[in-house]
Amino acid sequence: MSLERPDTTDDAAIERTPDELEALLGDLVVARDDHLNAPGFVIRPDTVQETLRTLKQQAGYDHLSVVSAQEYENRYESIYHLKKYDDPTQEVSVVVPADKDHPVSESAEPVFRTADWHEREAYDLIGVEYEGHPDLRRILLPETWQGHPLSMDYDKDRPQIATLPEHANPLEDHHKDEESDTMFLNIGPHHPATHGVLHLKTVLDGEQVVDVEPDIGYLHRSEEQMAQSGTYRHQIMPYPDRWDYISAGLLNEWAYARAAEDLADIEVPEYAQVIRTMGAEMCRIAAHMLALATFALDINGDFTATFMYAINDRERVQNLLEDLTGQRLMFNYFRLGGVVWDLPEDREAFFSDTRDFLDHLPESVEEYHNLITSNEIFQMRTIDTGILPPEVAKNYGATGPVARGSGVDYDLRRDDPYGYYDELDWDVVTEDGCDNFSRLLVRMREVEESAKIIEQCVDLLEDWPEDERNIQANVPRTLRPDDDAEIYRAVEGAKGELGIYIRSDGTDKPARFKIRSPCFSNLQTLPEMANGEYIPDVIAALGSLDVVLGEVDR
Amino acid sequence: MGTAPAQLFPEFIVDTLGLDSVIGEVAASLVAAFVVGNIILAFTGVAGPWAKRKITAAFTDRIAVDRIGPYGLLIIPAAAVQLLAKELIIPEGVDRPSWDIAPILLPASALLGFSVIPMGRIGPINLHLADPEVGFALVFAFASIASVSLVMAGYASNNKYSLLGGLRAVAQNLAYEIPLIVTAMSAVIFAGTLQMSGIVGAQTETLATIGGVAIPSWYAFVNPFAFVLFLTANMAEIGRNPFDIPEAPTEIVGGYQTEYSSAYFVLFYLGEFVHIFLGGAILAVTFLGGASGPGPESIGFIWFVVKIWGFFLFTQWARAAIPRVRIDQLIEIGWKGMLVLSFANLVLTAVIVGVIA
Repeated sequence: MSLERPDTTDDAAIERTPDELEALLGDLVVARDDHLNAPGFVIRPDTVQETLRTLKQQAGYDHLSVVSAQEYENRYESIYHLKKYDDPTQEVSVVVPADKDHPVSESAEPVFRTADWHEREAYDLIGVEYEGHPDLRRILLPETWQGHPLSMDYDKDRPQIATLPEHANPLEDHHKDEESDTMFLNIGPHHPATHGVLHLKTVLDGEQVVDVEPDIGYLHRSEEQMAQSGTYRHQIMPYPDRWDYISAGLLNEWAYARAAEDLADIEVPEYAQVIRTMGAEMCRIAAHMLALATFALDINGDFTATFMYAINDRERVQNLLEDLTGQRLMFNYFRLGGVVWDLPEDREAFFSDTRDFLDHLPESVEEYHNLITSNEIFQMRTIDTGILPPEVAKNYGATGPVARGSGVDYDLRRDDPYGYYDELDWDVVTEDGCDNFSRLLVRMREVEESAKIIEQCVDLLEDWPEDERNIQANVPRTLRPDDDAEIYRAVEGAKGELGIYIRSDGTDKPARFKIRSPCFSNLQTLPEMANGEYIPDVIAALGSLDVVLGEVDR
Repeated sequence: MGTAPAQLFPEFIVDTLGLDSVIGEVAASLVAAFVVGNIILAFTGVAGPWAKRKITAAFTDRIAVDRIGPYGLLIIPAAAVQLLAKELIIPEGVDRPSWDIAPILLPASALLGFSVIPMGRIGPINLHLADPEVGFALVFAFASIASVSLVMAGYASNNKYSLLGGLRAVAQNLAYEIPLIVTAMSAVIFAGTLQMSGIVGAQTETLATIGGVAIPSWYAFVNPFAFVLFLTANMAEIGRNPFDIPEAPTEIVGGYQTEYSSAYFVLFYLGEFVHIFLGGAILAVTFLGGASGPGPESIGFIWFVVKIWGFFLFTQWARAAIPRVRIDQLIEIGWKGMLVLSFANLVLTAVIVGVIA
């Protein structure tokens, strides 16, 4: 299949049965290893590109959600979780076993650009080497790190010692080029506009950016490993709050809840689903308000009034979340099978507070439009800067407002329904500008859509019969999903597709817990947007990506 | 303009104390300069730690300093002690002494500008230090020394962000100082003199009387177009939003002042505030009738203070509300927009004045 065909063909949208896919792949498939969410095809490690290209070009699987890797007793394994942007319920897993002694497998980077970072992470943490990868370096851990922390023979008691010369100045090499007139500039890890500890290795030609390379990992906290050492039932749920900690906690919790509930076959009561939906959308408003606030900070400069106004509005919704969950940031409100407690007493006060907030919201949004989006200078700064064409966005696995700002109509709440979303009346927001302005606009309009959802949830909850308020399903005290059951499930987080891959080994703890962070994939698009633009545009593009480093680095 | 020029402040001291020698005149000049300099420094003292915070807080729905003293006013001495008590960090590889001169040069040059500004009367005292015939040219010359200081700081800091800030400062000042001065020339054409007292004096005549209220012939009323142009260029000249790109903390981390701490940092901040007030003073003299206003002439200084603080408030308002332009857009606005408009304004003014006069 070396014939170059357009990425999407007419027959790409057709849904194929697993057997048809197997027939399409033909000899490439060595065996079947189906996951709970998708058929899985085992292939040889030297046919990765061919397989993925076939699936992408002939079957329309144009979205590489995540690459997860793990080590077994007898082999290494990389899994490419593929989906379609047009219909994310059509999934397929490509399972690539690699030799235990020499874990080498072909890189998927030439087919999906997004595989670049995902494979680097798999190399860094598990130790699989990807042949043909353009730049196989560690991504989360320091260059000098010894061993691969999620591999089986990793000795975590052994201290990591890096000699002084190795650490002398890790940023020093090839900074000065005698020939050219460019200047190397470290933006971050401590910079007012990097929204956390992000380091951008930037090469400047005057004020223009020749090259920018995000360097991440400063906030890596082994979240996956921590989740792997916790029990499904209670010990994992507090962690998701700490991924995207910009008050998107409930959205993150839902990602874990959805994956684990589908893995253990737990039905969530409808009442709890409505509460979840309402809480999650409140979190989305809070997260988007902060995105708006910090974006104004980046464009207007510090001391802009817009920042404080948006923080004020975020505070209002934060108060509601506090009433609902008892917490302001690390909610820990979801439980497998439902939520931890019912709405606060007295319910009427909570409903009227929520309605007050919703009534006030259109006025606020109007004010932001007056303050920023209708400002000529603001438009001058953001329109047609940080361009991300839809095809590039898809190639990088961009999701959430970043993809929707490029006109990619992809929202898991509608396309892969969960919770109570498919019962409610709301719209997916897209903008076709592909620029910084569009991404901001998408967030601002999504706030209004979220408000619609919350309002309908409040209506539903108000009229819910008192004896049917079931907040949790009956869930066994200890969950032990079937041995070797594998699942990848995603929800629409504040920043995009937040997915969890879990493999169980029959115990009460996951054998592999992989987080697909939307920010991780979105951040990877930064060089595409920034190269050739001015420094202020890089800052604007970064702000419009709205990355949270806690989620990028996990 | 038939009246004789008012007695200048140093002459007033000489006359009052009867110091009729060269030494006496020098001493009187120094005392007068000391008084005027301290008035301006007092303004910046109030503006920096207190008024700026209060104004920003008002724009952003906050309260700001209110813990120490009435209305939080005692934050001023507290902030002074705090800032000066901090360690002065001198980074490796800075280019001394230019690294040390830069923070002194900025406030010094801006303060120098006030030597020719007629600040109006307070009682019998006319707060005006010198009134040379080229005073108007002199004040712009003093004001533009500031960019030398910014370049020095940016270059000497041995920091890439500082360097970028310094380069931006040069580009910005080149692009905006020409329109600024060309626009100001239109006021000179109206007044027919470069002498500060002459320019102010020419604006005291009544332009029109509407409903019994006499509108003075301030050049802001005579030529509002030039006023807006001048105001915009002035914002760029003093580096405030939307033209604060030599600092641009969210892009280049404070630009030329990135490496400065403690007393040097204070000097830079001081210099910037004095510069804002100087910008306000030039604006007031050129377009807002200097110290003129309702009431007797002996309270003119109060009107002058109101005008320069009004301009300060305007800069803070802009900072809270207006996005920052990008460097290339700034240059484009400067060279392609402002320069053309300012020359058009100059030619138009010359024609009008030539035809009428």
